[in-house]
Amino acid sequence: MSEVLNVEQVLEKLKNTLGDAMLSYEIREYTMGVKRQRKLYEIWAEIDKDAFRKAVETIFAIDYPHLHFITGEDTGGEVIKMIYSFGIFHTRPWGEISITLKFDLPKSNLILPTITDLMMGAETNEREIREMLGVEFDGLKNKRHLFLPDDWPEGKYPWRRDEYGVEDMIKHTHKSVKEIRKERGESG
Amino acid sequence: MAKSTYYIPVGPIHPALKEPIRVEAEVEGEKIVKVDVKRGFAHRGIEYMGMKRNAIQTLYLSERICGICSISHPYAFVITAEKALGIEAPPRAQYIRTIIAELERIHSHILWLGVIAHEMGFDTLLFWTWKGREKVLDLLEFITGNRINYSMYMIGGARRDLKEKHIRAIKDAIDYYWKFTEHMKEIFLSDPVYKARTRNVAKVSKDIALKLNLVGPIARAAGIRMDVRQDMPYDAYADIDVRAVVPQDIVGEVYGDAYDVTMVRIYEIEQSLDIIEYCVDNLPEGKILAIPNYVALLAKIRRTKGEAIGAHEAPRGEVIHYLKFDGRDGPSVWKVIAPSYNNINSWGPLLIGAEVADIPIVVAYIDPCMCCNDRVAVVKTKDGNELGYTEIRKKCLEKTEKIRRELK
Repeated sequence: MSEVLNVEQVLEKLKNTLGDAMLSYEIREYTMGVKRQRKLYEIWAEIDKDAFRKAVETIFAIDYPHLHFITGEDTGGEVIKMIYSFGIFHTRPWGEISITLKFDLPKSNLILPTITDLMMGAETNEREIREMLGVEFDGLKNKRHLFLPDDWPEGKYPWRRDEYGVEDMIKHTHKSVKEIRKERGESG
Repeated sequence: MAKSTYYIPVGPIHPALKEPIRVEAEVEGEKIVKVDVKRGFAHRGIEYMGMKRNAIQTLYLSERICGICSISHPYAFVITAEKALGIEAPPRAQYIRTIIAELERIHSHILWLGVIAHEMGFDTLLFWTWKGREKVLDLLEFITGNRINYSMYMIGGARRDLKEKHIRAIKDAIDYYWKFTEHMKEIFLSDPVYKARTRNVAKVSKDIALKLNLVGPIARAAGIRMDVRQDMPYDAYADIDVRAVVPQDIVGEVYGDAYDVTMVRIYEIEQSLDIIEYCVDNLPEGKILAIPNYVALLAKIRRTKGEAIGAHEAPRGEVIHYLKFDGRDGPSVWKVIAPSYNNINSWGPLLIGAEVADIPIVVAYIDPCMCCNDRVAVVKTKDGNELGYTEIRKKCLEKTEKIRRELK
């Protein structure tokens, strides 16, 4: 069993291995409880994209983590902000420390190393990100669609907010009648 | 060379599956050599919809993600939103939310036990367990107005208060379920037939469970002490010191099979009863909403720039939400991870080397999550009048009599 570290020690380890690649970091504290208040800790770190694999390996060396989620945000610009969230020491009461890694991935080179060699179960997450955002995972074996149908058009990614998005494929389910009329130039 | 393997598809529509999903197996004789799971038949792009709506609409949209554990997603959503907004629910609301979540755990676990009985062909047991489940559904309807999709939570609190009559009904139900769980232990765990059908079926080792990122009762049955209520407590759970229910604490050994999953789920019902009892006895007084005015709440969300992750231990495992507020009245990024997302990972490794007949069993033992949408069927006559119970019964008897005459 791996040694239990506190949140500062975990952060220190990440800082030591990543060095300058750790662009910014913070420890967030949340107080929980009504009658007995205690604290939970989260590490949020912004890293350089080239150091991603190293950061993940460091986390795996500290404790075999539980992968919370992988997601990404496209704001319509030149980069996709990738977010990886892991939980470590998750079998200990009040002990789970969640580590969230964020980094910018340029749209000109949407390739990331896979983490399925470290954690088999991450395949589901990577396949989802691949079809939803168009990020390629180097080393991912199963590249079939996860949620989208097999005949989904090439080059369309539901979470993208640029020309690769799906705005033109959906109906106006989220717009009010007023908004649609305004767009069409009809009077209210 | 002669063809030695055959391809067997199961689903998306199949009697053993309550939800559309497809398992494609390549078999050599009876042995499965390759498995592919196809998901997405019920994919509705809910996260996409949520990113277009305001946060309160998205909260109730999140309730529609799962038809059974319909409070799990709103719970994770409100926890996340409160973290991002920096607000805290009033103590009374925190306790009420925990009570509702635990009541739901009871109904969900009993539902699962019934489904398992059904998959084994033991339908009498299915009807008996589901008869027991009615009590908690009635209670939830009494408290919230609905048997499912309770619309009970709000960012920064709860929408309905618990009155004296509700608390009396909850205490009543607790007494009922202490007895009912004892019965269930006898019927499920001491039954040699049940044991024979589940021991060593769908066996997951601790190591595999970690690698596959499994969560909830499946991971706990494999001996991993993970439970969000214990690892990252929130609301009333933070006062209670919840401990993960694992087979090694109950019987001293871990198999990680379907029998252990059953055991974990039954003992978790008892744990839920303890939690509800504590919450009801220690229910704090006071208001139930941090920001009672929804317009003010949306305005606060619009002013907030921030992100957070929040988790809730749903009956099936960990539900994780990620939210980012960025100047809109709703989330600009919303990511939802449901327990089945991770737990379906186990099907592939579990099925390889198994036999064709195991497909529906493995599938059902790990994750039976069906949506119970329909609840009341109102029968109307041609002129629009509703038919009451007596008339329907009379018509049934007439029909039976007619069939009997025809058969003679």
